[in-house]
Amino acid sequence: MFKTADGEEIFVIDGHIALWDGSPENQLNIHGAQFINCFYDYHKNLSPAENLWPKDKFEKYDADTLVNDLFVKGYVDMAIFQPVFLTDFYKNGFGDIEKNAELAKKYPGRFIGNGTFDPRDGERGLEYLEYLAVNHGVKGVKLYTAEWRGSSKGYKLTDPWAQRYLEKCEQLGIVNIHVHKGPTITPLNRDAFDVADIDDAASSFPGLNFIVEHCGLPRLEDFCWIATQESNVYAGLAVAIPFIHTRPRYFAEIISELLYWVGEDRILFGSDYALWEPKWLIEKFMAFELPEDIQQETGANLTLSVKRKILGENAARLYGIDIEAQKAKIRSDKVAIRG
Amino acid sequence: MQQREEVFAKLAEVYDPELDQSLTELGFINQVAINGSDVTVSFRLPTYWCSPNFAFIMAEDIRDRISELPWVKKVAVCLEDHCASAEINEGVSNGKTFVETFPDMSSGQLDELRKTFRVKAFVSRQERLLRHLIRLGFTHSSILDLTIRDLLELPNLESEGIMLTKQYLSIRQALGYDNEPKKIAFIQSDGKKLDLESFPGYLANIRRTRLSMEFNGHYCRGLFETRYSMEPLSELEVCK
Repeated sequence: MFKTADGEEIFVIDGHIALWDGSPENQLNIHGAQFINCFYDYHKNLSPAENLWPKDKFEKYDADTLVNDLFVKGYVDMAIFQPVFLTDFYKNGFGDIEKNAELAKKYPGRFIGNGTFDPRDGERGLEYLEYLAVNHGVKGVKLYTAEWRGSSKGYKLTDPWAQRYLEKCEQLGIVNIHVHKGPTITPLNRDAFDVADIDDAASSFPGLNFIVEHCGLPRLEDFCWIATQESNVYAGLAVAIPFIHTRPRYFAEIISELLYWVGEDRILFGSDYALWEPKWLIEKFMAFELPEDIQQETGANLTLSVKRKILGENAARLYGIDIEAQKAKIRSDKVAIRG
Repeated sequence: MQQREEVFAKLAEVYDPELDQSLTELGFINQVAINGSDVTVSFRLPTYWCSPNFAFIMAEDIRDRISELPWVKKVAVCLEDHCASAEINEGVSNGKTFVETFPDMSSGQLDELRKTFRVKAFVSRQERLLRHLIRLGFTHSSILDLTIRDLLELPNLESEGIMLTKQYLSIRQALGYDNEPKKIAFIQSDGKKLDLESFPGYLANIRRTRLSMEFNGHYCRGLFETRYSMEPLSELEVCK
């Protein structure tokens, strides 16, 4: 919970967190090392100096650190795990759904543990999806379309198997599809500007919500375009929001642009923990005001009510969370007491 | 020494298509080695995962621009620390096309991609110039009436305006529109005319493109600086 100077309570759902293991012991090859190195560069590049982690901590941190950074220090009331496996890069996977589930069990009401699928897993993966829905009550999945799998360097949501998986999601009530739109999806020559698969999937599956993590960066432009067309497409702020520290003016332009094209009801906060800690992101976001010239140009307004939506209300709506009931539930749990 | 300068002048003409900035300006060129008529250029990018197609375009442009120098017989390009380094270096240095380099992972050449990003560069340079003019107090209708000559003769453009005009006109030409003095200065990327009524909507659309491109510039530069500032320069030997 974030409290404003006037004592107003802002309920915070961190829409994008992970408990990963990128340590050298878990790396399968050079790509595993490069993957976590690249993450660490993001972390170093955009974090305030006082929030920099040492490399070994960044590679592998424990559950207590996560709980502390999110719920005790970081104003977060609830957090959504967005796991990726990266089995071509890591021996035991980068993320681990079972570990996430253990943590969710230990801290009831604090976590939403999302699943994941990869259409290249065929029938076996459909069964796994069913297992996730039945055993873990999964309501959302994180898709990493750029994940390598042998000679394949990614997949598209328009692939026939991806369509089958999305149908399965609909049947199982897994309604929130978080898609990481990052570089490299084969074929390579179409890569880097093609977001048509999100567009197509969003039209074909109006019952599902497509949350585009990182707002399509570095393809913000294309993302805004499709999100304007499709009412079930959302912007996940992970990776975009830390620019609030190093490039506040650009962040102002980005958030104004999102408010202009996508609208205040379809933007979700995500820290992308442990890439960045929610504490400083939320403090800076709450204190942030749009420069007047940008406000004039776009007509966008970042009021307290808009911030409230972005920080929690929009995610709550997607995941069917009753904020007042949830507040009551977690007010005196073991994490709240630690704070 | 003169050869080196000539090589760098050519490298300054190679642009990162996604950022619309030159490789020398971005600091992506790591090393240039000249051995008689053989030139080896090594370059590096902000991340290990930067899109292979853009990396290929840059590598190919390095090769082609430097090959234009009359004294150059052989150009080797060495992309360092990248997930597709081996394929790209082998392909570009041996004169292969993109499809020949990635036979299983491509469904065509990169011409379309180049075109797409040339249009984005046009749009974003135009937007910056338009913004500047609007900030100086020009009305929408006076802007739409400007010919190339008017634009070049505008007083009080300030140094920023002069630079933006130059950049805009150069990409306008690269896109195939001649910069004859009587021509209307501001047109859409497909050559269509702009009209007053739809101009505000047009401005909002092109702002999105400019912002996206500029933002990528910040994003990539930041990552590039973080990635390399702490590490010693890697040697050319690495790619041999």
